[in-house]
Amino acid sequence: MTLAAELPWLWGSLFALALATGAAIWGMLPRYSYDGALTEASSNARFESFVLWSLLLSIVLMTIAMGVRWDRIGHGPFVSLFELLMSQIWSLSIFYIVIYWRAPSLRGTSVIIFPALWVLGSWVLILDPTASFYPATYYNNWKWAHVLFGKVFLGAALFGVGLAGIILLRQTRAAKLFSKMPSSAVLDHIAWRFMMLALIFDSLMLIAGAVWAQDAWGRYWQWDELETSSFLNWLYLGAIIHLRMTYRMPLQVGAWLVIGVFVFAFLTYFGAPYFSPSAHKGVV
Amino acid sequence: MPILSAMASLKVTLVGMLLLSVGSMLTYGGDTGVTVWVLIVPMLLLALNLMCAIATSRKINGQPGLLVFHLSLLALVIVIAVGRLAHLDAQIEIVVGQSFDGSHLVDLQQGPWHTGDLSEITFLQGPYSVSYEPGVQRGATASRIGLLDKNSGFEKEIVVGDDTPLIFGDYRLYTSFNKGYAVILEWLPKEGGSYSGSVNMPSFPLNDYRQKNEWTPPGSDTTVKFWLRLDTGYDEEDYWVLSMDNSSGVLVMTVDDLRVELQEGESLQFDDGLLKYKELTMWMGYTIFYDPTLRWLFFISTFGVLGLGWHLWSRADRLLGQNFESDTKGGVN
Ligand code: HEM
Repeated sequence: MTLAAELPWLWGSLFALALATGAAIWGMLPRYSYDGALTEASSNARFESFVLWSLLLSIVLMTIAMGVRWDRIGHGPFVSLFELLMSQIWSLSIFYIVIYWRAPSLRGTSVIIFPALWVLGSWVLILDPTASFYPATYYNNWKWAHVLFGKVFLGAALFGVGLAGIILLRQTRAAKLFSKMPSSAVLDHIAWRFMMLALIFDSLMLIAGAVWAQDAWGRYWQWDELETSSFLNWLYLGAIIHLRMTYRMPLQVGAWLVIGVFVFAFLTYFGAPYFSPSAHKGVV
Repeated sequence: MPILSAMASLKVTLVGMLLLSVGSMLTYGGDTGVTVWVLIVPMLLLALNLMCAIATSRKINGQPGLLVFHLSLLALVIVIAVGRLAHLDAQIEIVVGQSFDGSHLVDLQQGPWHTGDLSEITFLQGPYSVSYEPGVQRGATASRIGLLDKNSGFEKEIVVGDDTPLIFGDYRLYTSFNKGYAVILEWLPKEGGSYSGSVNMPSFPLNDYRQKNEWTPPGSDTTVKFWLRLDTGYDEEDYWVLSMDNSSGVLVMTVDDLRVELQEGESLQFDDGLLKYKELTMWMGYTIFYDPTLRWLFFISTFGVLGLGWHLWSRADRLLGQNFESDTKGGVN
């Protein structure tokens, strides 16, 4: 791996994320007094503010890493998997930090969200940071709208995973860790609100993407691998929202459906380009 | 009415969505030869289902934002269908210095309702350049276009390329990866007269090593084989610009056993006439796209999403806050 200028900042950011992850999990662990009785986790607040600050630090360092790379290669993080993943970790962290900050009762979701971010983080570490080629059609301004909407969509989907994860973990022995959080019915309710938000931004992403595609390739839709997969993802979201309205389903089933949205989106963005790297770049 | 309410069932919606997802998986990859009915049938089913639901369900017609969203889905299906019926897709190769001629379209596909008038497209192809980065990565294309006024001729010059199409009404022309060199030839038959024409060589740099074509002069029974030996400064490993400014070419002609190399301006005498290699030039390939519904698609879909946003907003109990338990006592939804 070449030693690129942005790497120290990237490592710093992931280190800060590691601190946040450690503190989030440590803070959730049950505390026992000397006589073996479960005590209130009195230090929770301290842990939580540590998590908040280290997540913020991680975001700041990732911003610098992206800025340094931008300056080095002359274009934004829109092309290679290395830069796309960096940019996703960055925006997912920003989406999540707002929730973490504003909704203290939902902070338990961090024990699901942070490890999920780590999947992306450890992937970035094994990728090659060499400069990517910036296709002529990427100068189009619709790219910004497309990317921005996509980020909000994925942020909402990831938060859904956090909530669904708690619902599922409550079926296991880890249940008592989340006793302070709202009931599973409430988490489920919030998760599905976020699915609606995800659908809105997914739709906006598709619209902006289609406008861009019309400019870039002279057609707004052509069923290439990314288009097909993201349309199926959109349809899946619509279908599970209807499924939940049509049938009474146990919360756990709903939770898996919600997790499916993120998994689907993840496979779409980071999987489909593997099948055909040229599909969304217009090479030759 | 029992049929209406049966058709309005959300179970039908789920079936329709399932069929639509199967249809789009079959369609995956574009021109796969799979009939478009795999998309049309599920869409028709969903449209019918939705119309019945709107007619019968208070849940959907009593919530304005939701209604707007679903109506826009319905409208989208209709407008997409109209767009496909009226569309035109085609390719054209235009030699520098020549004007657009609608009778030269290739790969033409058009819907039965296509009523566009190709004569709206009037322009003169000017010189162009395409930048390449090391590794033959195509960068910006700048194609100079002379816009023509129907009466007074040349009007003004504009530059198009990549994501900046050349627009005439609902026709949009996009520069494509398909472009290359052409030779301008003049044929002077023995019996008098003169014919000028161009022969386009295969796409460059894609077919760098196969710059060949053949041509039979009008009225002659000799087929001439051409090979263009180019000097373009093209280097796969370096920055490079495809343009006339740094291109020259020797035209190698083969007729039966005869092989002759001609520089620009030189000619070759045949039994029945004289063939002159007047000059080297280039051609640009355009993708032509016509769909009068584009802006409608955009407005309808955006409007629909706004409706869904409104729906979410109007039902948004405090999404983020601390009193979820008390906020949602009434139930899950
Ligand atoms: C094809 C894509 C479709 C998508 C993406 C979609 C999306 C949605 C969404 C997001 C909601 C709001 C859910 C909520 O309030 O919790 C909804 C509600 C509804 N949809 Fe669809 N829909 C689609 C098609 C249809 C069709 C074809 C029908 C026809 C039956 C339909 C009927 C309904 C009804 C009746 C509701 C109201 C349910 C309620 O508020 O309890 N939808 N739809």
